[in-house]
Amino acid sequence: MSTLTAPKKTEEHKPAKPRARNHHGVSPALRADHNALRSVGVFLLWAVVAISIAMLLWMVLQAFRDTRSILSDPWGMPNTFDFSNFVRAWTVSDFATATFNSVITTGVSSFLTVAVAAPAAYYLSRVESRLTGGLSLYFILGLGIPAQVILIPLFIMLNEVNLTDSLIGLNLVYIAMSMPFTVFLLTAFFRSLPMEMEEAAALDGASALRTFVQITLPLAKGGILTAFVLQVVAHWNETLLALTLIQSTEKYTLPVALISFVQQQTYSGADWGGLFAGLCIVVLPMLIIYVWLGRRLTEGLTLGMGK
Amino acid sequence: MSTITGRRNAVTAPASAKKPKPGQGGSSIDRQRRKLLVPFVGPAFIFYTVLFIIPAIGAGWISLHVWAGSGPMKFVGLQNYVKVFKDDLFLKSFGNTLLLLFVVGAAIFILAFAMTLVLRDMAGKKIVRNVIFFPHLINALVFGVLAGFIFNPGGMVNTLLKPFGVTEPPAWLAQENIFPLIMATLVATTTGYFTTILMAGVDRIPPYFYEDCALAGATAFQRLRYVILPLTWDVFGTCAVLWTISSIKIFEIIWVFGGSSGAGIPPTQSWTTAVYTYVTAFSGQSTPAYGAATASAIISLALVSVLVVLLRRAMRRDAVEF
Repeated sequence: MSTLTAPKKTEEHKPAKPRARNHHGVSPALRADHNALRSVGVFLLWAVVAISIAMLLWMVLQAFRDTRSILSDPWGMPNTFDFSNFVRAWTVSDFATATFNSVITTGVSSFLTVAVAAPAAYYLSRVESRLTGGLSLYFILGLGIPAQVILIPLFIMLNEVNLTDSLIGLNLVYIAMSMPFTVFLLTAFFRSLPMEMEEAAALDGASALRTFVQITLPLAKGGILTAFVLQVVAHWNETLLALTLIQSTEKYTLPVALISFVQQQTYSGADWGGLFAGLCIVVLPMLIIYVWLGRRLTEGLTLGMGK
Repeated sequence: MSTITGRRNAVTAPASAKKPKPGQGGSSIDRQRRKLLVPFVGPAFIFYTVLFIIPAIGAGWISLHVWAGSGPMKFVGLQNYVKVFKDDLFLKSFGNTLLLLFVVGAAIFILAFAMTLVLRDMAGKKIVRNVIFFPHLINALVFGVLAGFIFNPGGMVNTLLKPFGVTEPPAWLAQENIFPLIMATLVATTTGYFTTILMAGVDRIPPYFYEDCALAGATAFQRLRYVILPLTWDVFGTCAVLWTISSIKIFEIIWVFGGSSGAGIPPTQSWTTAVYTYVTAFSGQSTPAYGAATASAIISLALVSVLVVLLRRAMRRDAVEF
């Protein structure tokens, strides 16, 4: 938590003598040195930014063109905003069901993940003993286990209880899989919250449970929202387990539907228009979330991981 | 932070639902909290144990057997591992995984670090950072499909090259070219994420260090060598661990890259161990070999564990407090 104390003294510690302001408002000593290499770097970075945005725009625009014109001129722009690709992807190629399944699965599993992980993280952050130390370690261990390790045993276990090819099964798996990261992130977050409010509540006679629900949870809203959104992103994009555990078309989540759409093309001829529409359906919700809650996401992923 | 709560007697096995003895240390709220162990940690513990840890242990067990998923399991000890290491397909997949891990990893780190240094004090850094982070939120499938379009024979790259007189461009999506192309795509789409993390580390460095450098007349290289690197060392370590863990899981992008050929299985030249595991168990092409498939997965797990331990060793320095 050294970040909290990272000094912001520079302003105050400037020499008292007023100094001519330069155009950046930084002291000359700190101004970036302008050499050729750096300029090239800056130029390249902006090029990367421009290309990234152009790619995204290009992908969205292609979704409005029909396959033949996409193939004949991949650089072309749509003449009209023709939604037929989306309509076809939505109705014929079952992207509608897949989107619905994905939305439900993502929403439910992310919510439950946070609901299950938050109390555990709270306990692990507030009670210090050898047991909680061990438990924390036990949860962190899962961060290093790649999904392909648990793939086959999970398939067999769920098959025993008829939970393969079932969205309920998939939800349960997602919740379990997200435990390590979510517990880890939230533990760090609860640790950073001040204890004074809880102590005051306890002095007023609130039980530990009530303190958690009425004091800590509202204080922790930000961190919990971050954890939730991170899980939404992870579960929306999860592919390998969905591909393995789901077999029937009407239960496909979006990534699986997209894969099956790509694979059908080898038989039914390329439908790039429909494919681009499908890609948009996968990407655009993430873009909306990013524009809406972007700062939370980057902070959660960078700080949560950093410490 | 922890000093407020830290002063507390070490209790060996505190109160798994049993009443803690009063006066065992801590205030009454602490004692109350301890009682919440089962209701609070229980659900998370059960989910995680039943659907994550037990399968992981199960994988170890299955890898010691020959098993087709149904019918009897035959115990063969470590033979699956021996067999897998004699299998050319697995060796190719393992080699590819190592290429991703080390070559792509090195490229990402060099680029990300270079980008961080440029970004550090550049105008508009927030915009750049926000844009380059976004690919991390997109399913890698999307990049695989897009790359297939961009590099296909009549696709964007070839039409771009035509004015430069390239009339016979390389067959980008030929089987032997696919894997290098996947590596390039991964570098392009992952660098931004690691740049963002490194940036967070570099931004923590208080500016008076740079001021000191300037006063002492340090060159840009010296500043890098004696200030930026030592103070971001732990962030580098974290990034390396993160990349190790995530590179082993790479699957989606390979699965669809270039609009997979034929029966929906990517060409064997581009397999990774994750693909090998999936195909060996679930492709439906031949009898599933669960033993070999899990053996391959366990080998990747072993690789991750060894590397993470080594990384932690190698990156361990005295933490620089600032």
